[in-house]
Formats: sequence, structure tokens, C-alpha cells
Amino acid sequence: MSVREIVTPARPDARDGGTGPAATARTPEPGTWRGSGAGARHLTRLLASEIALTFRRPRNLAMLGVLAIVPVVIGVAVRVASESDAGGSIVGQIAGNGLTLTFAAFAVMMPIVLPLTVAVVAGDAVAGEAAQGTLRYLLVAPAGRTRLLLVKYVNVMVFCLAACAVVALSALAAGLVLFPAGPVTLLSGTTIPAAEALLRAGVVVLYATAGLAALGAVALAVSTLTEAPIGAVAASVVLVVVSQVLTAIPQVAAVRPILLTSWWGAFDEALRTPMAADRMGRGLFVFAAYALIFGSVAWSRLTSKDITA
Amino acid sequence: MSKRARAVRWGVPVAAVAVVAAAVGTGPVIAAVRSDPSLPERTAEQLLADVARTWQNGRMPQMSGTIVETASLGLPALPGLTTPPGHAGASPVSLLSGSHQLKIWYAGEDRFRLMLPGEMSETDLIANGGTVWLWDSAANTATRLTTPEGHDHAAHTPFPTRSGLASPYATPDRLARQVLEAAGADTAISVGDAVTVAGRAAYQIVLTPKPADSLIKDIRVALDGEKLMPLRVQVYAKGAAEPVFEVGFESLSFTAPAPENFTFTPPPGAKVEQEAVSPPAGHRPREAAHAHDHDHDDHGRVVGSGWDSVLVTALPDLSGAKRDEDRHGGVDLAALLDGLEKAATPVSGEWGSGRLLRTKVVSILITDDGRLLAGAVTPQALYRAAGAKG
Repeated sequence: MSVREIVTPARPDARDGGTGPAATARTPEPGTWRGSGAGARHLTRLLASEIALTFRRPRNLAMLGVLAIVPVVIGVAVRVASESDAGGSIVGQIAGNGLTLTFAAFAVMMPIVLPLTVAVVAGDAVAGEAAQGTLRYLLVAPAGRTRLLLVKYVNVMVFCLAACAVVALSALAAGLVLFPAGPVTLLSGTTIPAAEALLRAGVVVLYATAGLAALGAVALAVSTLTEAPIGAVAASVVLVVVSQVLTAIPQVAAVRPILLTSWWGAFDEALRTPMAADRMGRGLFVFAAYALIFGSVAWSRLTSKDITA
Repeated sequence: MSKRARAVRWGVPVAAVAVVAAAVGTGPVIAAVRSDPSLPERTAEQLLADVARTWQNGRMPQMSGTIVETASLGLPALPGLTTPPGHAGASPVSLLSGSHQLKIWYAGEDRFRLMLPGEMSETDLIANGGTVWLWDSAANTATRLTTPEGHDHAAHTPFPTRSGLASPYATPDRLARQVLEAAGADTAISVGDAVTVAGRAAYQIVLTPKPADSLIKDIRVALDGEKLMPLRVQVYAKGAAEPVFEVGFESLSFTAPAPENFTFTPPPGAKVEQEAVSPPAGHRPREAAHAHDHDHDDHGRVVGSGWDSVLVTALPDLSGAKRDEDRHGGVDLAALLDGLEKAATPVSGEWGSGRLLRTKVVSILITDDGRLLAGAVTPQALYRAAGAKG
């Protein structure tokens, strides 16, 4: 995707008035949204239109396409390499069992590829509207800002889930086509039936979604600080990369527990027997803490800033 | 919007940070509030006698838990000390820096499982009856360990067994007195404040070295108040508020572990090997005072006794040592030694000249005539030892 594409309006239904459910949902009379029934309906419609926009944007579809291709590439590479010797790690085990490709795909993509896509969507969420000049139309009602932010964040979370699901399903399909399927060997050396392996893949997907949603909150907060969407996206990606570098330096090991990136890898706890819930639980706590802190930063910024564009 | 209203809004993220900090801080605070659990008073002698009685009369209790080892010896960042990705905690030398986790399931002397989790990998030691398996997921290798013929299997388990303490004349009380007398010459043994370890009230035995040359302030061993099992060992250096070495339970439950933990069948596709060695014994809380020794027991010689001991050894033959270490987890000894020399400062005196490396708890002296001296002592003690030989 190009810079130009991010900055220029790419939305099919421009937000400058117009008709349709999106437009009516976004210009309620101030105060009405607080009323339980109508408010909830407005919120749902706003969210539905937001999600529809997200999954209709060519850029986002292209990113989901890349996410679907990477597991296939890994699978083909292992298939080609396994003629000789694929080694013994989790990647090497794919050759013996296609279901393992799901876990290997997350191990490969969780550090940078998945966060990148989330940073693009979440970083663009508010700054993109500001750059297009559509943000002020969304904010005609003062009370609407909190609601708008909520909808934006839920939308980011939906995208996180979609991204993880795309990776998992693509890996599953590629694995089943390229390799034999059967009972899966876990990291602990125990073997579980294929059905339970699918269940564990589900746990991995949900955990990865939570980890990415925490990054989404950070990117959303950055997005409210600027009117240049590319700046917000770049800043979020830089944060991820810096965290990864910090995780790798032993001299600053003390900061590891508070970095998002050091908890993303904890999904491997789902691949042990017994399943170690404690480390994943701690990871979820860190994710929730990030979402709370950066969500509130985004709220403070968005509800107090002057919208000029 | 007025300035004041904005300030109020920015108070919300501040409050969010406070809430998170409070949630993170609650654990330690609660632990601190009840840091003095009430246990019946016991003197050091009574406590040691009770420990000996417990070990003599029964086995260790069934349990499962997580052990965390943390070392901050103040070593410079040396090649080989940093953990290679995917092998967290796999190399014994890597245990000298940073923090490592170990999980344990213990159902009896010959039924236990030790698990070293790594990033997308795992190393397991599983003993079930006479069968001992070592599983390395990164190498996809299951090794069946067999004890050499003629050796009692139980003697090779990494857990204390009755055999050492059960000799007929060693009654617990007598044993406790003997230990205290033997240690009394250079160690003060006392009972410290009760502490909470892994949520359990524990006695604390404090071993304080008497020699002035020792860099170790004291060693604190926490013993479970009810089961009298060691829960934690901490080594404190002089002038450091935090322990330089700590190994202890982070969580612990005295329930019988699930039997699935002890059944291991090599998974299909894994390499299966046989090796006739005794299981490694270094993975449990033990007297940490030995952890810093560079065990070159083939050449090494110990000068002095007790806390003042100084290990004197010839610099290891790198070509041979390197090959040997590579086999045991990829430690490049030559690079390690090279890094050690680079980090050291040149020193000289009546004893000769060389390079000195000082850490919080260990001093290492590499003399120019090719000797390596190490000990948990001040550099002056090393110089004396170096001079004594020359």
C-alpha cells in the first residue's frame, strides 16, 4: 500500500452528509444516544457501518490477503525443504503433521507481521478521518466523541480477530492440503488428537487477538495525537520494533515484564501439557492494562482537542 | 473547552495508570503486610533437628509448583551467558544471569517431572519408576537415561533421599548439634524472621560467614513452617540490598500431581536415544554457595577452607574444553574467557601481575603466568592465595 492511498479518501461512501444508514447514524440529536433503546441502536448501526467500511477498504483487504499468503508460503517452503531434512523445531514438525502449521504460522507472524497490520488499521482510525476532514462531521454532538472512540476501538478489535482468524484458517487449509494430518505432538512431547489441537489453535487465536488489541489501543491513542495518519501508523510500528529490540537486550531485562512484545509469545503456553494458564493470564493482565491506559489517553485527547479539520 | 476541564480529562489516564500500578502492587503489598507470619518459635538447633527428623522419617511431600531462579551476580555481559533464542534456560551457564523458570511435579523419589519452558520449545526430565526420559522439543529428541549397572537408582535422583541421613547413630537432635558445631567455627547460624514464600509461612535460617574476607553477607534458607521443606535459598552480598542469587518457589501446592505428568512416550517422528548417565542434579534449590565455582575439577585445587576457599586452577585447555562444552548446550568457553579477560582490569602486586574481575559476590583473578583464581572473597584474599603459590 502506498502513502498516497492512506492519505487520500478511499472510502466508498464519503462522510460529508449524504444518505444511507451510516449518515443518519452518525448525526443523532445530542443527548438521544443516552436513551437506552435508541442509543444502543445508534451505536450498533455506527459500529456496523464502521466494520463494513474497514472490511471494504482495498488496503485492508490487501493486508488480510498478505496474512493469508504467509502461512501458505511457510507450508510450501517446508514441503520443498522436507525432501532433505527440515530440522526438529516446531517448523520442522509441520512436515509430519499439517495441523502444526497453524502454531508455526503464529510463531513466525506474531512478532512483526500481525502487529504491522493492526498498527495500520488502528493508527489510521482517528488520524485518517482528521486528514480527510471527515472527523468534524462525526463529532457534531459533543457527547458523541466517547461513543465514536468506543466504536473505533471495537472495530479495531474486530479487525484483530479477523486477522488472527485469517492466519489460522489459511494455515489450517494449507497444512491439510500439503501435509498429512493426525494427532499433534505438543511442546511437552505429548500427543493429542486432532480435535483437541483445533481447540488449542482456538485458544492461540483468542490470546493473539487480545495481544494485538492491546497494541490497537496504543495505536489508537497515537492516532488521536496527530492528524497525519502515516505518522500514527509509523509511530506505532516504531514502538513495536523498539520493544522487540529492548526484549532482546539482556542489560535491560528489567523492563521486559512491562513490554507488550514480551507477552505476545506466551501463546506457546497453550502448546504444553498441562496447559500453563498462569503465564497467559499474566499476559492478558498486561494487555488489559495497556488497553485501559492507552484507551483513556485516547479518550482524554479526543474529547478535549479542538477539531479543526 | 476550558483549561480546567481539559486538566480534569487528562486526570483519567493518570488514574488509569494508578489503578494498574495498584493492581500490580497489591501482591507485594499484601505479602509485605503479612510478611511476619506467626510460627511457633524454634531455635536453630530445634529447627535443624526437626528438619533432620522429617527427612529421616518420611519422604518429601507430593507437590507441584514453579521454581524461579534469579541471578544478578554483577557479571559483565559475556558471550555465552546470554540465552540464545529458543533455548531459554537450556544452557547451565545461562543460569548465571537473568531469571529462569522451572516447573516441577513431584510424586515420589522415582516419579517426578521437571520442565524448563523455552520460547516455542521445552525441555523435560520425566522419571516414572525405573524409566527416565529427557525430552528436548527443539531438537525433537527423546533420550532414555539409564543409570549404570550396580548403582542404586534412588541415589541418582536429584532429590534428597533418606540414605544420607538415616545412619543409625545420627539421631536428628545429635545431627543438628553436629551441624551447628561443625559450622560454628566460621559461620553463625541463626533463625531469622519468618517469611512468606509462595504463599506459605516459612522459617528462615540465616547462615552468616564470620571471615572478614568473604564477600557474602549471608545465606538465607526458607523452610516451610509445616513440612520443613526448603522453599527458597537467597545469597546476599555485602553492600547489596537485593539478593545476588535466589532460587525458590514462586507457586507451590502440596497436592498429588496428575499422573499424566509422569507418562511419557516418545512422540512419532522424534529421535529416540539411549544414554547411560545419571540425571542432572543441578535443578533444584540447593546450597547456592557452590553455584559460582568454575568447576574445573580436573585441574582445580582449593586453597583455604570454608567461606575463604579460593579455587586455583590452570587456565583450561581451550581446544578440548570447547569441544566438550559445545556438546552440552553451545557454550563457547574460549569466547567466554576472552570476554572475561576484556572486562577485567589489570592489577599487579608482590604476587605478580594479572587481570582482576570483581563482581558483587565473586572475584576472579587471571594471572599472567596462566593461573585462574576464583572465590567469593575480596581481591586481597586472592592476591594472598596467588602469592602463596608463587
